[in-house]
Amino acid sequence: MIFNHWSSLAASLGILAVIVLFLHLGRPWLHFLKNLGFAGLTFFIIAWLAFDLITGIVSGLRLLTIGTVFFLFFQTTSPGMLSNALLKMGIPYPFAFVLSASMQFVPVLIRRARNIRDAQRARGIPIEGGLGTLLHLPALAGPLLIQAFTFADELAEAMEARGFGISGRSFRNEPRFRWMDWVAVAISLAALTIVLSIQFL
Amino acid sequence: MILRFEGVSYSYPGVDTPALDGLDLTLHPGESVLVAGASGSGKSTFCRACIGLVPHFHHGRLTGRVLVDGLDTRQYPVCELFRHAGLVFQNPDAQLFNQTVESELTYGLESLGMAPSEIEKRLAWASNLTELDSLMERPPHTLSGGEKQRVALAAILTLRPRLLILDEPFTHLDPEGTEALRRILRTMRSEGITLIIVEHRLHEIIDDVDRIVVFHGGKNVAEGPPRQVLSADISTYGLNLPPMIRLFRTFGLNQTPFNVDEALENLKTQNLIAPFSFHLSEQMSNPSSALTANPSPIVEAENIWFNYEGRNVLRGVHLKLHKGECVALLGRNGAGKTTLIKHLNGLLKPHQGFLRIFGRDTRKTPVSELSRHVGFVWQNPNDQLFRPTVREEVLTGTKILHPYDPVWCDELFNRFGLLPLLDRSPFSLSEGQKKRVSFAAALAAKPDLIVLDEPTAGLDEPFRRELTGFISQLQKKGGTIVLVTHDLEFAAEHANRWLVLSEGQMIADGPPDEVMANSTVMAKAGLRPTQRFQLTQAIKHLGEKN
Repeated sequence: MIFNHWSSLAASLGILAVIVLFLHLGRPWLHFLKNLGFAGLTFFIIAWLAFDLITGIVSGLRLLTIGTVFFLFFQTTSPGMLSNALLKMGIPYPFAFVLSASMQFVPVLIRRARNIRDAQRARGIPIEGGLGTLLHLPALAGPLLIQAFTFADELAEAMEARGFGISGRSFRNEPRFRWMDWVAVAISLAALTIVLSIQFL
Repeated sequence: MILRFEGVSYSYPGVDTPALDGLDLTLHPGESVLVAGASGSGKSTFCRACIGLVPHFHHGRLTGRVLVDGLDTRQYPVCELFRHAGLVFQNPDAQLFNQTVESELTYGLESLGMAPSEIEKRLAWASNLTELDSLMERPPHTLSGGEKQRVALAAILTLRPRLLILDEPFTHLDPEGTEALRRILRTMRSEGITLIIVEHRLHEIIDDVDRIVVFHGGKNVAEGPPRQVLSADISTYGLNLPPMIRLFRTFGLNQTPFNVDEALENLKTQNLIAPFSFHLSEQMSNPSSALTANPSPIVEAENIWFNYEGRNVLRGVHLKLHKGECVALLGRNGAGKTTLIKHLNGLLKPHQGFLRIFGRDTRKTPVSELSRHVGFVWQNPNDQLFRPTVREEVLTGTKILHPYDPVWCDELFNRFGLLPLLDRSPFSLSEGQKKRVSFAAALAAKPDLIVLDEPTAGLDEPFRRELTGFISQLQKKGGTIVLVTHDLEFAAEHANRWLVLSEGQMIADGPPDEVMANSTVMAKAGLRPTQRFQLTQAIKHLGEKN
């Protein structure tokens, strides 16, 4: 019953928090929590109203824990390493590449979206959050979609011009499995086994 | 011969007018060639044809023959051609797709399956040449425009192509970035790499090329050593001639001085210093500079501070704008220019200090209210186009803001040459036409203040000339204009007041000549005086000596 109890969830969140601090990720984590906080709070309130306070707390804590795990994963694993791992598992290069590259373009697209929002607001289109934004969605989404399409086209050209997808590709940084990695895998598997056995036995 | 176009014609699929129309061109190894032409002259298509993207990627109909390093591009795929010819595209954002600068540089080499030792060697060479050593671990999207451009260039350089093509590389660079790129291109030239630079602002690179090729209507219409081409009559091809040559032309001289020293030498040998300096001072006294100062400013900024992601972008800026002024806001990329202009209609609110636009505090007035008074023309018109027709696009703002004045809007359609385009989709227009639409859209609500963000970037000479017309008409009607630009020649021609930003502080505010004469300010902001100003100064010195 380990994941149904608030104390064990709080304990695992505590362990994660220690890891976060150990990796000097405190500040970005707080920033991340600020964004996740709203979702967590809504989740907590809905579960509280629908069930009871304990369920609310457990649900909220679960969301925070899962969020923090993902946060740690993406903070410690670069998209490059991720796609490398996928390649090792036998996933074809173009797929692994698309996964890692698409993460690259999130900040680029966010910046463009901001420019578009500013340009439209400067023309008097009232998109200052709230209902106005919904009513004037085409003013935001239209230019963004068009730009995303042209961007994708230009990108495809540039990739073509640097030999994307030709066979016989080499990799400059090929990570190898070291004893540290075996230890990490062993600890993770052991922890998982223990948790599952407590949960189900 | 490294590149050869033999009667090449090409049309994009679904387009009737050919982008290239019987193009003939031969390039020899080690040459540096400037390809110049107005928008729509086929420059970008030419670039794509050099590495086989036309026709392999874009399809369409190609006739004639393109030979790159002896390979017929129709028979070889792009993945074969890219080791022979490298293309640096115009938009640096869309060609960087790796996590770090370093992996960006090695991507092409990994594609070729190169051995690690060779990769390291080339990486070191290219990063050193492009001055990127200190940025290797950074994600490309966090870099400045100039740095991105250099990464894009280095990513191609590592492949050591025998032919390197750059498509309008100077468009988004500030004066320092331009200088850095020019330095790199010079080194590459001395290393024997064949260079093609596609550009319509000739003065950026004219000193460093062996040959100019002028494109017009998809054809090669003039070609030869720079001086020979520029002394011929090429005025109909929409080129932005080097400023000294333009100045000489207005005086009726046919020489082709590329820089100030050459101009001075020319004038001395012809004994024309005195009449020329009279000509210069006569041109200078434009009526707008004799403006009577209006006591009540329309924009008033008091000690504004703004920080973004923990960095102070604006640090105590004071600013006053008066009715009827044309003000240029200058400074390097990242100095805070964009942040400052976004304060002018409340898109950003100062964290400290305050800003009053027509007496209203921007902190308490919604943007939609302020945008009645302040119109913006952004650098990228694609940021705003979303309506099905040009007509609706132009009228969107004014219909929301009221008062909608149909007579004025018809006049705008007419003035910006939009009448034949009114029912077309704005997305189907050329970049120059889109820019016109965004101008008309900004003016439709009759703003009292209009802000132009890099109005000349990426636009050719005919549009520049139109722009000159718009600006003087606006001024005649009592409009106030703020220009944000790296194009100092343009700023000196139009603005009667220059504001210089450096690291978030306003370090100069005064008439262009006064600002340019202050060498400390200019150096601090990474700016160089216009050639015209340099010439005036040089003539003055000459007079003092005699």
